[in-house]
Amino acid sequence: MMDTKKIAYFLLNEAGIGIILVLLCVLFSYFVPAFASMNNISNIFTQISINTVIAVGMTFVILLGGIDLSVGSVLALCSILAGLTITNKSLPVPLAIFLAVSVSIAAGIACGLFNGCVCERWNIHSFVVTLGMLNMARGAALQVSNSRTIFSFPKSFNVVGTYSIFGSLPVIFIMAVALVLIGHFVLKKTVFGRMIYAIGNNEEAVRLSGHNTKHYKIAAFAICGACVGVAAILYMLRLNIASPILGNGFELSAIAAVVIGGTSMNGGKGSMIGTLIGAAIIGVLNNGLLLLGMSDFARQIVTGAIIVIAVILDTYRAKLSLILS
Amino acid sequence: MKKIMSVIVLAALIMCLASFSGAAFAADKKPVIGLVMKSLANEFFKAMEEGARKYEAAEGNFTLIPVGMNSETDIDTQINAMENFISQKVDMIILAPADSVGLVPSVKKAKDAGILVINFDVTLDKQALKDNGLPEDFLFVGPDNEEGSYLVGNFLGEKIGKGAKVIIIEGNPGADNAKQRKAGFMKSVSDYGFQLLDSTTAHWETEEANTLMTNLLTRFPDVQGVMCANDSMALGAVRAIEAAGKGGKIQVVGFDNIGACQDLIKEGKMLATVDQFGPEMVANAIKVGFRILGGEAISGWAKSPVEVVSIKNLK
Repeated sequence: MMDTKKIAYFLLNEAGIGIILVLLCVLFSYFVPAFASMNNISNIFTQISINTVIAVGMTFVILLGGIDLSVGSVLALCSILAGLTITNKSLPVPLAIFLAVSVSIAAGIACGLFNGCVCERWNIHSFVVTLGMLNMARGAALQVSNSRTIFSFPKSFNVVGTYSIFGSLPVIFIMAVALVLIGHFVLKKTVFGRMIYAIGNNEEAVRLSGHNTKHYKIAAFAICGACVGVAAILYMLRLNIASPILGNGFELSAIAAVVIGGTSMNGGKGSMIGTLIGAAIIGVLNNGLLLLGMSDFARQIVTGAIIVIAVILDTYRAKLSLILS
Repeated sequence: MKKIMSVIVLAALIMCLASFSGAAFAADKKPVIGLVMKSLANEFFKAMEEGARKYEAAEGNFTLIPVGMNSETDIDTQINAMENFISQKVDMIILAPADSVGLVPSVKKAKDAGILVINFDVTLDKQALKDNGLPEDFLFVGPDNEEGSYLVGNFLGEKIGKGAKVIIIEGNPGADNAKQRKAGFMKSVSDYGFQLLDSTTAHWETEEANTLMTNLLTRFPDVQGVMCANDSMALGAVRAIEAAGKGGKIQVVGFDNIGACQDLIKEGKMLATVDQFGPEMVANAIKVGFRILGGEAISGWAKSPVEVVSIKNLK
């Protein structure tokens, strides 16, 4: 009796969402032979990389019970700034690339710090502040670029975007997974990470025990911004352009990945590995449903339904794990 | 400290407002023309705005007030802009409607207020015009989207030959220019007996087109040609083909002639695109407007040119 409980507990908590991913993959490979080809899997890896990186940052914010709606616009702003830097002909190519990456990440952190500081200084919910940032960053991206798409990046930069290790592991996916692993380590093994969970669960208790919770929350937004800066570079690697209108709706995909991955919107519960699986589920659905030949509208319906189902399952999971523990 | 901060912030805000509104106050006795465009975030409309400003500077006999919106589908902002222009009593409104039906009542209101409205870029819906008591042949200055995509579709046909396997990447479902461009592509499909593998939307966006094309390449590895309803999507499609190691083997055509695609065409990664001369189009709309103000009666479709842009006519 105890054993089945233990197994059920494990399945619910650690593997729950992974099972859905495996199921989807099995179903798609059965109906579409091309789905399981090395080439297609490699494509899915590339396609989920950008969303995964944003979702890693978003996980920190959501674990604290916050939300960041500005990631898509900030991504556009970062890419524009990086694009202008990298196409600056007066800089030697390696320096231009290095500066572009730094500028992108710095801009992301700056936006994140702004979000965090405003939220904490005036005690405003992050929903409102990041909604404001969504508009400011988009406007800034359009203003700085004069709404032009930036292109003609150095050849050596473009090559990295299509490069795969062992022929099937795209470099940008490896970067995304590395970030997931770093995020996982930070959350599970460091004091900082444990504090994030603690604050997400009961901010008042943490505050009363003498910790300044505001610093952690501001740091979470800065981390989210840094991830967006990295995502902007991955975007440029993938598409060879920087555009002020890109990233529309990216916040929703990232939030979806985090929530499907089992992180609670109320904060305090969730994991980085879950987020990676969440992003993978969205990517697999997008790819698999298209390969099945499903129409645009039907694909949208199914993807939306899966998000809702995942969240419904999550409420049961919370209840069940309470009973079982 | 706090007070000083708030004073500084306030001062900055007032200065911003003053500098933004300065242009509107500068209007003198010259006729005032309101220009209502779609998203200025789109390079095409940005170029159009610059073209209109250049024309204003060159002619010097009118004052232009351009208004753009945040997104291509923001009908509300356009209706507000129309109403503002009506209460400002401008002399002429040049309108690129975000929605062919939704803007017709505003056009009627402007006309009733004695303001001349010139419809350009996207045509107003004939049925809606009739229902609102406006003439069905309401003057329209704009390109033939269908003709443009038909021309570039045929250009693709000449390259990949009859019966080739093609994919169409459509614009936003429901958008009129998306429908017209698809109709043009479909004409090429039937003229050249193309085998149409799939026709699906990427909502005008690069990222989405890239993901879509990558997945379609898995499903249809033997595709020979791709027709994209705009250049942003063509960018994404070309990059997907390149990433799949099929660069140069699959021909891509687009629409809009943006800088990034000219670059791809020069590098031989993209076959062709369509120029619909946005800046000239808006100047032409203003010109026609002045002729009507001068007493001429003009109605119907004043077609503006479309042209296929390929390596042949790019320097």
